[in-house]
Amino acid sequence: MDIRLESISHRYGDTEVLRDISLDIPTGQIVCLVGPSGCGKSTLLRLIGGLERPSEGRVLQLGSSPVGCLNPLTFVFQDFALLPWRSVKGNISLVLEDHGIRGAKAKATIEDVLARTKLSDFANALPKQLSGGMKQRVAIARALAVNPAVMLMDEPLSALDSQTRELLMDDLVSLWSRQPFTAVYVTHNLAEAVRLGHTIVVLSRRPGEIREVVTIDTPIQDRSAGDPVCQRKHDLLWELMREEARAADEELIDG
Amino acid sequence: MADTSTSHNQSPPGPIEVRFRGGGFAPRSRRWVGVVVFVVLIALIQWGTQTGWISPLTLPKPSDVLATFGELWESGLLFKHLQPSLTRLVVGAALGASAGIAVGVLIGLFSHVRAGLVPLVAAIFPIPKIALLPLFVIWFGIDEGSKYALIAFGTFTPTVVATYGAVDNVDRSLIRMGQSFGLSWFSIVRKIVLPGAMPGILSGLRISLAIAIILLVAAEMLGAEYGIGAYILEAGALYDLERLFAGVVILSLLGVILSGVIGVIERRLLGWRT
Amino acid sequence: MVTFNRRQTLGLIGAAAASSLAAPAIAKNRKVVVGALRFTSHSGSFIALERGYFDDAGLDVELKFFQAAQPMAVAIASGDVDYAVTAMSGGLISLADKGAIKVIGGALSEEKGIDGQKILASDAAFKAGLTAPSELDGKTYGMSTAGSSFHYMGSKVAQAEGVEVKFKPLQKVGAIIGALKSGQIDAWSIVPHIAKPLAGSGAVHIIGNISDYLPGYQVTTVFTSAKNASDERDQTKDFLAGFGKGVSDYNSTMIDKVGGDDGVNAMVDLIHKYVYTNRPREKAAPSIINGTMRINDGAKLNIASIRDQLEWFQSEDLVGKDITLDTVVDGSYVETYEG
Ligand SMILES: Nc1ncnc2c1ncn2[C@@H]1O[C@H](COP(=O)(O)OP(=O)(O)O)[C@@H](O)[C@H]1O
Ligand SMILES: [Mg+2]
Repeated sequence: MDIRLESISHRYGDTEVLRDISLDIPTGQIVCLVGPSGCGKSTLLRLIGGLERPSEGRVLQLGSSPVGCLNPLTFVFQDFALLPWRSVKGNISLVLEDHGIRGAKAKATIEDVLARTKLSDFANALPKQLSGGMKQRVAIARALAVNPAVMLMDEPLSALDSQTRELLMDDLVSLWSRQPFTAVYVTHNLAEAVRLGHTIVVLSRRPGEIREVVTIDTPIQDRSAGDPVCQRKHDLLWELMREEARAADEELIDG
Repeated sequence: MADTSTSHNQSPPGPIEVRFRGGGFAPRSRRWVGVVVFVVLIALIQWGTQTGWISPLTLPKPSDVLATFGELWESGLLFKHLQPSLTRLVVGAALGASAGIAVGVLIGLFSHVRAGLVPLVAAIFPIPKIALLPLFVIWFGIDEGSKYALIAFGTFTPTVVATYGAVDNVDRSLIRMGQSFGLSWFSIVRKIVLPGAMPGILSGLRISLAIAIILLVAAEMLGAEYGIGAYILEAGALYDLERLFAGVVILSLLGVILSGVIGVIERRLLGWRT
Repeated sequence: MVTFNRRQTLGLIGAAAASSLAAPAIAKNRKVVVGALRFTSHSGSFIALERGYFDDAGLDVELKFFQAAQPMAVAIASGDVDYAVTAMSGGLISLADKGAIKVIGGALSEEKGIDGQKILASDAAFKAGLTAPSELDGKTYGMSTAGSSFHYMGSKVAQAEGVEVKFKPLQKVGAIIGALKSGQIDAWSIVPHIAKPLAGSGAVHIIGNISDYLPGYQVTTVFTSAKNASDERDQTKDFLAGFGKGVSDYNSTMIDKVGGDDGVNAMVDLIHKYVYTNRPREKAAPSIINGTMRINDGAKLNIASIRDQLEWFQSEDLVGKDITLDTVVDGSYVETYEG
């Protein structure tokens, strides 16, 4: 299933946050959204996920969801959003229960996603017992459990330390290479974008407009830290963003 | 580096251990201190009353209070008084707290209910419920009805306020998560809002139940033959300080036990808290 | 930490009795504080003050008004009030036992043939057959608290009739009246100036007289702190002298009608300064006249009645069994009699 954004604009009161965004998100690809903080990335993601209505424009789903898909547009949040009173297993079953999946079927799904995120040993742990990286893996497992058509990931690694981030990026890469998924991946970290994105969309500072769409053809499982192609894309992106970032920064200072 | 004239006068200081300036501000469990305070206080009163330094009109002898308590126990009167009081407390508080939680959740969830009921709750919160006792007697009868009503009414308002505050404080990102996974409204309330509000509701219950104990005495002002409150009121009317204090001690114990029970519930239900 | 003084502790008890405590008075230079309730039965003090009998006795009396008898007793014990008149009760005996107060004279008493306290039935109970005290079996009987004079009266009536009644503590007279009117309780007993208007309204019915069961019942007594009784004998005598004159005036004018109607009217004017002050005189007058009861001349004390009451309170386990009559009463001030 593809997603198409048709000239999306969005306002909060008098604040124009997004201006005329048109974009296609093709099946099986990871599209990264980068831009200075406050440019409307999270807002755009909420619009795509149907948690908010755009002031103008439309978000379209093209084609049908894969079979067995319970929740086509599924979020992975920066702050994990795990229910602290439910175990790892319970947090995953939460999103299955409402779709009538219980008992053996739920158990199989839970075991499968826990295995894919390497959490099988922690099924009964409470969130408070887990490290940040583990919590985010639980959140990813939960997202996988509903077999989404598109994963909407809002800075999923930003709350983690850099080593954990590296490890989790590896996990995401191997997850994708075993079974490609569609994702919109918001980040302000260019290294993440270059590592995970098939397409990288650079937004300007607020009101967010598309400044540039960069594609990286290197298969993501073949990318590595020192890869010269990736490095070049990284530098290019930084050139694009530097001015925006500085301007956005000063804008904040000026109030 | 320093010039020679000063280096002679000021020899470099020897190693000094860094002074510790952290610590404190972290309450730790020191159970025995509380016990010691109690014991010392009671021993002092015992000594004072024994020597006559405290007149019998001022405070009873703790040993006499204990003896009174023993008599209460032996004669079976203790349970004759406890049983109706506990029934009133349980029925009244259960009615008031469950209605309070229900209304509090509704206020927390629906802005129309909030707009309609919050001012009403604010208006009835400060009413001294004791003042309404005669009215309750007419509405609900002089027997158990008015007593249940008074305790229920007294626990209702603080529970409402605590509950809707707790619902307001439920992490919005969890609710947004529920919505993003397509959970039904009812599921979100039952699986996210209620458990998330539970810590606030329970700490509200702590206060509500203490109020229920306070109101027990008031409720037993009218037409109660038996009951801890009736016992205390009678002792007060008879200036019988031993019985008065024995009754007060029972109420205190009741309070301690109730708070302990809530503590156990909290540990069981809220073990997930960090 | 433990330095509660007597006043504070008693204040606490007073609060438990649901009333407030008067501010402390300065009991110096023959200045004497007399506690009173705004009832006709306290007229002795009002008359003595108004007609200067206290002044004649060399006392500078200040009246301190209370809402209920209990805080007044507490105020005597704490020394805030010197003398007062109140009903005998378990509380009073208990305070005496603690060495705080002494009964030094008698005031109101029941006398056969003279209008006294009435036994009342609620309208509902009356219609259901409670037309005489003998029908009280299984009925509920109102009282302020256990150990109050209502408790004593009800119990004695039930005992005489060989019936069982259930007592309902309601703390305040107002609450008892409300409960009786609405049929929440079946029966009660109270002084005539409250009983008669209630019966007149049809909401309750008079079904008997307390004096038939407790002839000579010493309802109220004059009491003071144990310290005044033992250390301030002259002052106490002076108080009783002034008070006694007031009582004599009351009895001769209101009961024996020595001054005729003019005398009664003048007396009603005087009493109306203190009682039913929120009503116009013409409305207050019938109530004041209705409430007339004989107050013991010379504050005589019916020691037999006091003994009977003490024994009853002891038998009900309301006060200590070891309390003697001498602990409660200082009989050296007034004439005592066995009535
Ligand atoms: N619910 C909201 N109401 C009003 N303003 C909002 C709301 N959410 C976000 N904004 C504003 O919109 C702008 C974009 O926010 P956001 O999408 O969170 O930016 P980003 O994720 O790119 O940092 C910010 O200026 C933010 O203050
Ligand atoms: Mg954001």
